[in-house]
Amino acid sequence: MALFLQLLFTGLGIGSIYALVSLGFVLLIRAASVVNFAQGEFSMLGAYIMVIFANDLGVPYFIAIPIAVILMAAFGILFAGVVYWPLRHRGQLPVIISTIGASIFLANFVLATYGPSPQVLPPIFDNGFDIGEVYIDSQYLAIIVITALLVLLQYLVFEKTLLGKKLQATSQDKEMASLLGIPVALMVLFTFAYSAALGGIAGVLVAPVLFVSVQMGAVVALKAFAANIIGGFGSIPGAIIGGLALGVAETMGASYISVPYKDAFAFALLLLVLLVRPQGIFGERIAEKA
Amino acid sequence: MAISRRTLILASAGTLAMPYVARAADPIKIGMTVPITGPAAESGGFMTIGAKIGVEEVNEKGVLGRKVELHIEDDQTTNPGAVLAFSRMSGDPTMVAFIGSVRSTQVHAMAPDVLKIGKPMMIGGTDPALTHLGNRWLFRCRPNDSYSAKVIAQYGVETLAKKKWAIVHSTDAFGTGGMKALVESLKAAGIEPSLVQGYTNQQADFTPVALAVRQSGADVLGSYFTFETDLGVFARQLRQLGVRVPWIGSPSITNTSALNLAGASLYGTFGVADYAVDSSPAAKTFATKFEMQSKNPPDNQSSWAHDAVVVLGRALNDAGSTDPDKLRTAILAIRGLEGAEGTYNFDQNGDGLHGYNVVKNNSGKIVFDKHIDFQA
Repeated sequence: MALFLQLLFTGLGIGSIYALVSLGFVLLIRAASVVNFAQGEFSMLGAYIMVIFANDLGVPYFIAIPIAVILMAAFGILFAGVVYWPLRHRGQLPVIISTIGASIFLANFVLATYGPSPQVLPPIFDNGFDIGEVYIDSQYLAIIVITALLVLLQYLVFEKTLLGKKLQATSQDKEMASLLGIPVALMVLFTFAYSAALGGIAGVLVAPVLFVSVQMGAVVALKAFAANIIGGFGSIPGAIIGGLALGVAETMGASYISVPYKDAFAFALLLLVLLVRPQGIFGERIAEKA
Repeated sequence: MAISRRTLILASAGTLAMPYVARAADPIKIGMTVPITGPAAESGGFMTIGAKIGVEEVNEKGVLGRKVELHIEDDQTTNPGAVLAFSRMSGDPTMVAFIGSVRSTQVHAMAPDVLKIGKPMMIGGTDPALTHLGNRWLFRCRPNDSYSAKVIAQYGVETLAKKKWAIVHSTDAFGTGGMKALVESLKAAGIEPSLVQGYTNQQADFTPVALAVRQSGADVLGSYFTFETDLGVFARQLRQLGVRVPWIGSPSITNTSALNLAGASLYGTFGVADYAVDSSPAAKTFATKFEMQSKNPPDNQSSWAHDAVVVLGRALNDAGSTDPDKLRTAILAIRGLEGAEGTYNFDQNGDGLHGYNVVKNNSGKIVFDKHIDFQA
């Protein structure tokens, strides 16, 4: 039982990271119909900003984290202006290609400017603790709690505020939202900023676990994208459930069946969901739109 | 103006000889595939510095009266990237020899093309099979994993007196080759490992692997990790889960990058290291030169590349020619060449080194313990 609980805790921790990055994917799919293949690089950039402020400049974490989030939000707007905006009327494919190009550019830009050495970002909380025979890693705990708080915050903003209603209206039907006087362009830019900030937070959270490297975004992004499909393409609850399910499935599968096939379990889950429920767990909304 | 027949003949001969005179003054080109991008980009930086120090040394002494020049291509830390990099370099017919990858899997990928081109490639990949592929152009400037496995097993069983082994290894060519050699060495000592656990490279989480080690009840851990980031994540999670057994790792456990990433999680571990600064005067000299060019201390990523250039320089002079066959014969004839990694005595398979150093991580500082050599 202790082994199961240990794996469950770890799976939820790593799954929370997939969920956060996946959430960033979903928001952009809904608001701008963009599949952003640079979402993983948002995480990498967020982590490097933390390294610069916390490690290099010695800024305390409680100041460095908000700085990283704000800078990532600003970067999201810049990203929208350069990568999305000029191609927004040319269909989905050019924008997707543009995000792939941006992903390659960002990885190589960081490699060229900061160098290839992976960096160590100390954990937000120093030590873990034991509950019975289960070791609770403080960083994984922080990841789970912060992800839960962000999901709650997002729910409150989207469901209980005027801004949230405007964002939802934009994501559901841009033309109708525009006719109702909602500044659609502003809402799309806000979504890019929010998505980049989410990616940045994911990077900051995962950095002490995975180290800060140019490749860290790619490691997480592929799984987050799979989580997005498992949960239902474009579904917010789906992104969260898909991410958590993927994290738990691969951790359990690796431990109980085979470690070398760890990645295979994640994608076996993906195939299973696609076979049984092709639209994903929460995929009705996309089916309605189609 | 009348030109005499003698002048005409001399002028013609001079004109015809010009390209050969110029060719004799041209540099000797050595191509090198280096991970400039990808997960091993940091080690690529170490490798480049090491090779450049080697070039400075051989150029001081001179090679066939010409300068050696290094041509670097990015292998992107991938097999296709390595093949592409080699293809770009080998397309230049003036390239005399090559320095390949430190990663066995990439050497395996390039090996068929090296055989086709028919020029020597110095390699750092330690999969024992690489020099037994029937490819006469691969020459190894590091001891292979049949030696590292023997040293890990010998040190664990005899020096540390541990009998219950767990082995953790990457499932790539390097890790699998090392694991097989370690299992063989332990079997020769009458020991069946309690756990043999593979993992795929570039994982975000190693909890299942660390738990498997803990559950195995092993009293010693042997490991073959390819990437330092994986080693760092595993080391920290292993310690967090309370596993404190002695740990003897393959050379990556002693790499500067691994020491920086894993920090205290690797304190007290042992490693087999082909490079150890206190193992020989040549190793010390190399360290001094390296530290003048880098803020980091040297490790095997840089020392083997340095030695590859030095071996090629010596072989070119011994061969008296850049002809591939003569160069090959000269490399295989090298005996007693002092390199940063050790003393080179090439065997007929192309292996230059036949033993390893055992080192200990003493609160982050790598301390030389002893050198164990085997018969070639």
